Amino acid sequence: VVISNNTRKSHWPMTSNPPDTSPLPWADALYSIKRHGLSLTNCASEPVQTPGCIQAHGALLVLRMADLTILQASENTAQYLGEKPEDLLGQSAAKVVGARGITRLRVMLQQEPVERSTLYAFTLPARAGVAALDVCVHTTDGFVVVEFEPTGRTGEPKHNDIFSLVKASISRLQTAGSLRDFCQHVAREVRSITSLDRVMVYRFHADQHGEVFAENMREDLPAWLGLHYPEGDIPKPARDIFKRIWIRPLPNAAGPLVEIMPLANPDTGRPLNMTHCALRGASIMYTEYLANMGVAASLTMPILVDGELWGLIACHHYKPTHFSYQVRSACELLAQVTSLQLKAAEHSELLSYQLKLDNVHQQLVRKAASEGDLMALSDSQPSLLDAMDAEGAALFHLDRWWCAGKTPTEVQLDALAAWLDQRPEFDASMRPVFVTDALTRLYPAGAEMASVASGVLAVQISRLRKDLIMWFRPEAIQTVHWAGNPHDKPLVPGPNGQRLSPRGSFALFTESVKQRSRPWSPMEVESALRLQLLIIEMVVSRAERLAEVNLDLTRSNEELDAFAYVASHDLKEPLRGIHRYAHQLLESSQAQDAENRKRVESLMRLTERMDSLLDSLLHFSRVGRTNLEFQAVNLNEVVAEALEMIGVRRAENLCSIDLPRLLPTVLCDRVRVREIFSNLLSNAVKYTGQLCPHIVVGYLEPHEHGAPVLTPVEAGGQTIFYVRDDGIGIARQHFGQVFRMFKRLHGRDEFGGGVGAGLTIVEKLVQRHGGVVWLESNVGAGSTFYFTLPSAQGCSS
Amino acid sequence: MQFMIRARHILVVEDADEDYQTVLESAKHCTAPIDIQRATSGEDCLRLLRDLADRHQALPALVLLDLNTPQNDGREALLLIKQDVRLREIPIVVLSGSANPRDLSFCYANGANAYHVKPVHHALHLLVLQKIFDYWLNNVVSPVEPTYAP
Repeated sequence: VVISNNTRKSHWPMTSNPPDTSPLPWADALYSIKRHGLSLTNCASEPVQTPGCIQAHGALLVLRMADLTILQASENTAQYLGEKPEDLLGQSAAKVVGARGITRLRVMLQQEPVERSTLYAFTLPARAGVAALDVCVHTTDGFVVVEFEPTGRTGEPKHNDIFSLVKASISRLQTAGSLRDFCQHVAREVRSITSLDRVMVYRFHADQHGEVFAENMREDLPAWLGLHYPEGDIPKPARDIFKRIWIRPLPNAAGPLVEIMPLANPDTGRPLNMTHCALRGASIMYTEYLANMGVAASLTMPILVDGELWGLIACHHYKPTHFSYQVRSACELLAQVTSLQLKAAEHSELLSYQLKLDNVHQQLVRKAASEGDLMALSDSQPSLLDAMDAEGAALFHLDRWWCAGKTPTEVQLDALAAWLDQRPEFDASMRPVFVTDALTRLYPAGAEMASVASGVLAVQISRLRKDLIMWFRPEAIQTVHWAGNPHDKPLVPGPNGQRLSPRGSFALFTESVKQRSRPWSPMEVESALRLQLLIIEMVVSRAERLAEVNLDLTRSNEELDAFAYVASHDLKEPLRGIHRYAHQLLESSQAQDAENRKRVESLMRLTERMDSLLDSLLHFSRVGRTNLEFQAVNLNEVVAEALEMIGVRRAENLCSIDLPRLLPTVLCDRVRVREIFSNLLSNAVKYTGQLCPHIVVGYLEPHEHGAPVLTPVEAGGQTIFYVRDDGIGIARQHFGQVFRMFKRLHGRDEFGGGVGAGLTIVEKLVQRHGGVVWLESNVGAGSTFYFTLPSAQGCSS
Repeated sequence: MQFMIRARHILVVEDADEDYQTVLESAKHCTAPIDIQRATSGEDCLRLLRDLADRHQALPALVLLDLNTPQNDGREALLLIKQDVRLREIPIVVLSGSANPRDLSFCYANGANAYHVKPVHHALHLLVLQKIFDYWLNNVVSPVEPTYAP
């Protein structure tokens, strides 16, 4: 039968703080569950080690070490040993176990490690009216405790060879892959040995709350796997006992209790410490608690890792049963083996998680390196979310957030990142990692995002650029299946009233897990730091490669410079020689015919032309490489200078230069922009059929109406300048060619000659200012050359 | 240090024969004769000058220096002359095929007294040289009173 709050299947009632003022009810006498158990108001004050009673399925004797005289006896000795307690007290134990038994006891006490460790001694054969008994012995506080339990064997033992059964179980445990798999095996093996209804592996978390981690049960029973229980469900005194004993049998939880006579040891006057007694009477709190859940018998073994209580193997049975010494021994052994193996299983699971994370990290960084950007971390498979067991991940990179999974909003992320930036953790350049499972305790503003980010693990990638990676874990209370929330389940009072329905502390507990996430393991923190290192290495190696490329570029630029320089010098030297000889030839050829004079003159002219070509080439190569000096430049002055350079004065009536409105002041390199204007103006003056060419120099503000039809998109938002002439014009099919180096559309000596480098240099200069140059023209109707310069912000005209 | 300068004596550092011939041709057109000595490299030039200084003989009134000479480059010759206390007062006029701003700024920064670009046009070339001779041999006041060749 499963009662309504059956999810609270725990073994110990919860505790609240013990009252330490009122005198205990048994203050004037020794405690006995049987006499005082019902007067208890809470279980933390219960003397669980000296309950004064045993369970009724066996009998107990306390002997003086020296002479094995019976000092104390359970009140039920008549039933099991055939003698009333009063007939045994003060007698030799030989009266019960016989001479051979005494001999065996003495041998054990001398030779076996029985101090606080219960060992099977021998079996007392059945006698008239008394069943066969297994006898177990241990010593405590200088006295010998002998426990008698019916063997339960009615003929052949159920398990012929329990140890070969255990051996088989242990070898099956070895095959488990994961930690959970391993625990699942443990539950199955314990159940197969004990035949109990339900076997659970119960795991304690860092905050001592527990979880049903593995389970094996009768098919018709509801599963409790994955349920979590508050810390108080197994109070500290109970947890402490399980660090000292390997097994706790309770074959009939509702069975009667049997008191020890007398309660005080006559030699010392003190109660018997029953920590190591298999028959130790259970707390009424506990037994009623089990009864509440319909559990009739329980068997509990601890799982200890490095001396700490990792968890419990908890078995429930819904009918009273009998645990033979053999079964108990097998379970003890399994619990011990489990404890030893679990450490290895836990380690290997940790290792494989670490390997998985490292593997994902490597993939991520390789991908980021090949795609050239950290964005690859957030928007591809695998992502940052695969790189950590978390619900959300966020990367701040290139001044924005890249998120995966459940994360706070960008506004919240900004605030959190700004706060993190001030944290001392990020000052230590060696370990720039921040980790918490309770963000709001440090960062109260985090309360509004506790549901997604109670836990934060953050590593800094670049302090300068504020690049960082964060992983988030939600508030655990939302992801954990809590067993028996008092707020949505009615209280079911036990037979002794409300006191045994331990609900009071649940609210306290809920408070303690509020805005807390599952903790980050040290391995996860290390793993995050390793990823951070990998990313930094990647960034550094990219920067190094970039620096190498830059160095190569600088080198090849310098080589080009040297080449142009050497070429100009070395080519000009023979050129000068040729010119010189041609010159001399001409001077000394007075007598020769006109034909030859003409040829020599051509030779000289070609030499001069080659000279200007070399000059243009040199100039062009320098235009592309020298640094620009940006300053606020008044373009009206620049145009005036350009006109002066090309020998045109506005006042001269040979041509008219018109500026419809004053030009603005822009941020540019004065000398280069002057060269742009001088080239365009000199072309406008040159390529004309007019006697008096008319030239207009003007500009259009960004977004001003009247932008030319062919304006390229790159010109958007920039000021457009233009030089318009009424010259010969250019056919549309030649628009592209005019900017090509040494491309001339006309004969070499038409329109004043020239090498055809002017517009190429204009284009280069405009491009170096971040602008764009183009033209509109019709043959015979003049040309307009447009170019843009970045809008002069902060410069008044 | 006491040193002497020979009036109308120049040292021409030039490896190209055609360009040297142009120098001689230009000198011929000058009103007064010019005593021209040639070095074909910067090294050659330094050796000649140091030899004169060692023997306490008069130094040329002008060094006409081509930058791109073989072996010891003209730039290095300029540096070494201007570092030598015995030679650094000799006026040095650079005459180069290069109009590279880097060369210009290098030469002026290291004490060149003038920088001219050799024109390809022969007549212009002759004109440049004549102007140089006229200016540096007739108009300029020398650092010391020049001595005349015996």
